[in-house]
Amino acid sequence: MPSKKKARNPVPRSDLAKESDLALKELIRHRLTLPPEKRLNVLRRKVGLRATAL
Amino acid sequence: MDAEPVLALLARRLAEHRLEVILIGNMAAALHGAPVTTVDVDFLFRKTPVNLRRLRELSRTMQATLLRPYYPASDLFRMQRDSDNLQVDFMGHIDGVSSFESLRSRAVRINLRGAELLVADLRDIIRSKKATGRAKDKAAIAILEETLHAIEEKGTEPGTKKRSRQRK
Repeated sequence: MPSKKKARNPVPRSDLAKESDLALKELIRHRLTLPPEKRLNVLRRKVGLRATAL
Repeated sequence: MDAEPVLALLARRLAEHRLEVILIGNMAAALHGAPVTTVDVDFLFRKTPVNLRRLRELSRTMQATLLRPYYPASDLFRMQRDSDNLQVDFMGHIDGVSSFESLRSRAVRINLRGAELLVADLRDIIRSKKATGRAKDKAAIAILEETLHAIEEKGTEPGTKKRSRQRK
């Protein structure tokens, strides 16, 4: 008899993941309130051979 | 680190040397408001003999070295300045974009200290990252799509101008 696969329940998203998504949305909204030239604190400098720093 | 001074300087020098380029990659995405970081500045350019001469002149003016690493698919030219580890990549081709002209037709102009810079549309940046398929690009896509969603909800971005189409 062929085995029936159990229908997987979607894994509930943790509160931590939801908060993380919310934090990202807030960060984007904040960035969008700034003029483009104020959104540029993004350049990571290479430090040594493998590391980078903002 | 704040990239605004170096990007403004690049925009001014590019205009002086009449080298037409379009800002792409994470730096362009950041100008659209995406919270991403990068180690370099990426531009798409048209690889013509005149533009290559202008690129060499630009490198001299920027006191940088123009390298030609072996990346044949992207036609990459790398401008590198050892004094501050500045790295600017100029690519003749990127995935997901059919031509320089098509990218330019959708690009926006951003003014940095009086110099205008053409910045690729966020949808094109997302399309290119999806087409490239590298792990680091895939990781950024969700953030870029969330940013695009927020922009669309908000309406037009402040400080940007849609590039007007040139008449033939």
